[in-house]
Amino acid sequence: MSEAGLIEGVVGATADRPALLLGPDGLDRHTRRDLRKEEIAIAARFQGEGGWPYAIWAVGGFAVWLGMFALAFLHRLNLPVALVYSSVYAGLGYIVAHDAIHHNIFRQDSRWHWLNELSGWLAVLPIVFPFPLARIVHLRHHTHVNDPLEDPDYSDDARNVWHAIWKTWWNRQPGVKGSIHAYKEAAYKIGTPEAMQALKITLVAQLLFMAALFAMAWSGFALEAVCLWWLPRHLGLTYARIYLSWAPHHPREGNTGRYNNSVIFTSMWGDVGSSFMAYHLLHHLYPRIPVHQTRPAFYAMRHILEARGVDVSSRPVKGR
Amino acid sequence: MEAVLPKLMKMMPFLFGIGFIAPCVAQILPRLGLVPPAGMTPVAFGLAVGGAWGLIANLRGRWL
Repeated sequence: MSEAGLIEGVVGATADRPALLLGPDGLDRHTRRDLRKEEIAIAARFQGEGGWPYAIWAVGGFAVWLGMFALAFLHRLNLPVALVYSSVYAGLGYIVAHDAIHHNIFRQDSRWHWLNELSGWLAVLPIVFPFPLARIVHLRHHTHVNDPLEDPDYSDDARNVWHAIWKTWWNRQPGVKGSIHAYKEAAYKIGTPEAMQALKITLVAQLLFMAALFAMAWSGFALEAVCLWWLPRHLGLTYARIYLSWAPHHPREGNTGRYNNSVIFTSMWGDVGSSFMAYHLLHHLYPRIPVHQTRPAFYAMRHILEARGVDVSSRPVKGR
Repeated sequence: MEAVLPKLMKMMPFLFGIGFIAPCVAQILPRLGLVPPAGMTPVAFGLAVGGAWGLIANLRGRWL
């Protein structure tokens, strides 16, 4: 302390000041470094492969869905059962593909990695969202979370859950640039050979989907097409947009930081029913943690997240 | 081919109207015991409804 400082009476103010410079989170850099080290050590315990349950659900579930088309053509299909099953498979398909995107079902160095890719391809066919496009735009989402101009998922931004439900429908309208339209624009903007290839695959997939619906409908299987594919696709997409995009990232505006780009929430459908999205923050922190492991990882890391200023109070999705 | 496919996609609401909505309407009507107006067959009525709805969706950029 300088003599001038003593004379001007700043002794008290200096004494109250922390010894080390604090960041906006109120932590000094040593504390932040220690927390980060502990965080990485905890995350390492939960990173691994989702493995066979994911692959069996993706491939086996797809085979059942395909079998229902055969039953339809044999006039042995129960339409309500087909509608429920197809909707569940379509809705939960994206979360399996999501883990496949991050090679979390089987890693790249696994002899079963081809099953990781196959699971990803099949699981999103009912919602007609080809896996190559899903991978490219989802990785873009990770690098630009909640950026209104660069995050391909930003079109899901909504004031509350009811607005979000309406928004999922609105974004799918032919003249609105949301949902798959926003994804196609994002891939075009990325512009790599992989992105352009993904766009071509998407175009072919969309045309084949329409051709399949038209062929079934004009062959006398219109209601079967509605219950097996058209309506489940819309229900599945609505579920995926609400639970896998809106709920974990609401509110989006300005929340682009590592610890505030996702929120912790509770859902009336439970962890499985909400595809474990309540702990999506853990996924953004460590994408190599399989989705079913984000819950235990959250509880193991909760004290660190609290110290980082994360709201871990788990607010219900409906109240937000 | 690459020039044709995007154009086809732009017309998709209209194509969806005649390709999917029309046969859906034609097959739902008899199940509900309904008879199309003006002596139309279910298929003709379906094409009228689906074609018109698809065309409007194409022009307005939304289905409702």
